[in-house]
Amino acid sequence: MYAMTQLSDEHLNQAIANCAQEPIRTPGSIQPHGFALFLDAGLRVLQVSDNLAKHTGIAPESALGQPLDALFGAGAVQGLRAEMERMPLRRNPAYLDTLEFAGGRYDVLGHEYDGLLTLECERTERSGGADFRHLYPLVGDFLRKLDDTHRVADMCMLAAHEIRALTRFGRVLVYRFDHEGHGHVLGESRDDAHPSFGDHRFPGSDIPAQARELYVLNRLRLIADADYTPSRLLPALNPLTGKANDLSFCALRSVSPVHLQYMRNMRTYASMSVSLVVRGKLWGLISCHDEKPCFPSFDKRTACEQLGQILALRIETREDAEELQLRLDMRRTMVDMLARLTQGPDFIDNMSGVFPQLLQFMHAGGGALVVDERIVTYGVTPDQEAIAALVGWLAVHAQGDIFQTDRLTAAYPPAAAFQHCASGLVAMPVSRIHKHYLLWFRPELVETIEWAGNPHAKASPQGQLTPRTSFDTWRETVHATSSPWRGGEIEMALEFRTALLGIALERAEQMAELAEELGRANKELEAFSYSVSHDLRAPLRHIVGFSDLLLEARGSESAERRARFLTNIKDSARLAGKLVDDLLSFSQMGRAALRPTQVDMGELVRACIDKLKFDLRGRDIAWQIGPLPVIEADPTFLQLALLNLLSNAAKFTAGRTPAVIAVSADSTPDETVFHIADNGVGFSMDYVHKLFGVFQRLHRMEDFQGTGIGLANVRRIVERHGGRVWADGRPEHGATFSFAIPKELLI
Amino acid sequence: MLKPILLVEDNPNDLELTLIALEKSQLANEVIITRDGAEALDYLFQRGQFAARPAGNPAVILLDLKLPKVDGLEVLKTIREEAGLRSVPVVMLTSSKEERDLLRSYELGVNAYVVKPVDFGEFVDAIADLGLFWAVLNEPPPGSLRYVRPR
Repeated sequence: MYAMTQLSDEHLNQAIANCAQEPIRTPGSIQPHGFALFLDAGLRVLQVSDNLAKHTGIAPESALGQPLDALFGAGAVQGLRAEMERMPLRRNPAYLDTLEFAGGRYDVLGHEYDGLLTLECERTERSGGADFRHLYPLVGDFLRKLDDTHRVADMCMLAAHEIRALTRFGRVLVYRFDHEGHGHVLGESRDDAHPSFGDHRFPGSDIPAQARELYVLNRLRLIADADYTPSRLLPALNPLTGKANDLSFCALRSVSPVHLQYMRNMRTYASMSVSLVVRGKLWGLISCHDEKPCFPSFDKRTACEQLGQILALRIETREDAEELQLRLDMRRTMVDMLARLTQGPDFIDNMSGVFPQLLQFMHAGGGALVVDERIVTYGVTPDQEAIAALVGWLAVHAQGDIFQTDRLTAAYPPAAAFQHCASGLVAMPVSRIHKHYLLWFRPELVETIEWAGNPHAKASPQGQLTPRTSFDTWRETVHATSSPWRGGEIEMALEFRTALLGIALERAEQMAELAEELGRANKELEAFSYSVSHDLRAPLRHIVGFSDLLLEARGSESAERRARFLTNIKDSARLAGKLVDDLLSFSQMGRAALRPTQVDMGELVRACIDKLKFDLRGRDIAWQIGPLPVIEADPTFLQLALLNLLSNAAKFTAGRTPAVIAVSADSTPDETVFHIADNGVGFSMDYVHKLFGVFQRLHRMEDFQGTGIGLANVRRIVERHGGRVWADGRPEHGATFSFAIPKELLI
Repeated sequence: MLKPILLVEDNPNDLELTLIALEKSQLANEVIITRDGAEALDYLFQRGQFAARPAGNPAVILLDLKLPKVDGLEVLKTIREEAGLRSVPVVMLTSSKEERDLLRSYELGVNAYVVKPVDFGEFVDAIADLGLFWAVLNEPPPGSLRYVRPR
């Protein structure tokens, strides 16, 4: 079957193009089970269908130019006139009356379009006039049953049964056009004579674009007998426009011969279609078939049209509700993710932390975050190398804010290697500058589709449209395709992207604000690592050195010397430990957040002195604490600074009796200034610039113990408060350390 | 009379280890010890506590990089800027091979740059070799005998 139509795609496209030019709105003819008259506003006959004589016994030529009264009789026309006055004619046909002609009883339908008043008369077997009263209970009943169904497929099934019961068509299908335009049968009701098309697909190419447009305008189309011979209009052109009549809204409009052939191929001799228009778009069709000609009356068709509209409305609300629920769920997940994304400083870490939510968000099987050369994945994904190559391809070929497909191999053939896990892809660049991508993968959904006939076998090699000849079930197994991404999902993904970029921008602003601070921190960090490499190595070297000496000596050294080596080893080990501790506290100082409160400095200084008492036992120190104010600062940090300054003062007054340490404060309009003065060994102002640097020492190790971090800490704490530190001193004449804390903290 | 070696070292442990190493290398030179950069300069410029010392430059200066008050690089810079001191060999001793220190030392005209090894045996060898080269071989005092390192 397939071999015959290997050229199918090209020929099919050509045939469809020909079909698209077929004048379906202006066929110049009507179906012959009724007749038509085209009148001017004064009800004078301008055009008639050429089957007029067959139905009424009046020769068409003789009718032209006549007033309607002359054809229908004055009484009948008076009734029609009254009905038209009661309800002025519109674009869609309305029932006016049922009249008796030579051929029998006819329902008269009127509509106004294309400048003409059109009367269509359809043969009816009904004895009385059309009765629309049975419509209301029918519609009410249908509505009630619809309320009990929640799945769209169940609603379609219900509609199929109702319409078949109403019209007596042998088979009623309700199908939805999928995202590729193929009709997917969701509901079917049929008798035994008609084969089932349940769950089948009708190729999208079965219905040309212009036919779809017409389905939206005119919601019901009937072909009573596929074997009909059309009745031509007389004269052929609309006398008002000089063009072929636009019969878009005619109930009797003749259809394309291609379509009639299609019907005969399908062994269908009557068909009726009711459009399901959801949100202004052709969502699907209720398609009624019968193997025999079939002609439901206008009132029944009206009922079908109503049921179709109700069904469409219910589908719309149902889909809206589903869509809303989907978006609500997605938004909840998104808010949750965004909250977590703003927590840490590292984008990749943050994103990795919300991967489970990311997958849930897009209903995906796998996800990947690509940040330059780094790729982080979660769930089932292609391997890193494949992702890197894919992103390289995306960077060149994907345009816009988002790339999405449910058939990646079609756009990117190398994807065949990983189609099982990534047939579907949504990819979003998440940086305006860098090659950063967020990817979602959907696994392959191997699906067996039952086509109502082979969709690839439609066009003849001549390029002329040959309607399908077979509607036998044609099974196709579809590979390399995932379930499609929904519109809501794509929109929410874009919204998420906007939020992400927002976070990134906010980050960038924060970065800019922090730039200065970072610069300073970097410098400190550099000094820090430099010092670690120098100062931390020293005690280790000493431990090894003296241990080697001890081992090497083996008793040849004096006992006194060996004892000193052991002391050196112990001291070095202790110093190494203290260095590590001090370095840690120094680095933590830079990170912890300040928590300023009201701090009574007098209390704080006295608390510090209490803490130092144990270390200073045996020392003779005269503390002179002046009146100290209450300031706004972080008490924990400030206590650390004070402890450092006070213990420093105590350390450098070790030889003095008594040691005098004075703490005082003064105030400027902007700052509170504190001074810690001692009468210790002091220092030369030549070296004052080194005083507050990390690991800077002005004294020999053995004279004054310390790691050289204390004053660096003091500076750091004061600067974190937006303040400044300085020192004053003279060798052997004591030192004064001062720091100022601003009254309005700039943190 | 051999010229002395000037050792500038603030850390008491390093000082002791270096002295032991020099002792082990059996150099006959006297070792002058200063404990920070300022003191070293005082010695070299014969001022302060060293105002009364005999005239003459040391055979070599073993200079620690990190020193209180005036650090090793500043001492080196001052030496190289002073006509009377410029030719004195300076060996920089340091705990780490930080590149910027190394480059700065070379810029300032250091004669050797030694990263103190952690292993004490290696430290002794390094000090001995340096002392031998700079204190003895490089600048033999006129008329004196060459020092031969005993096996």
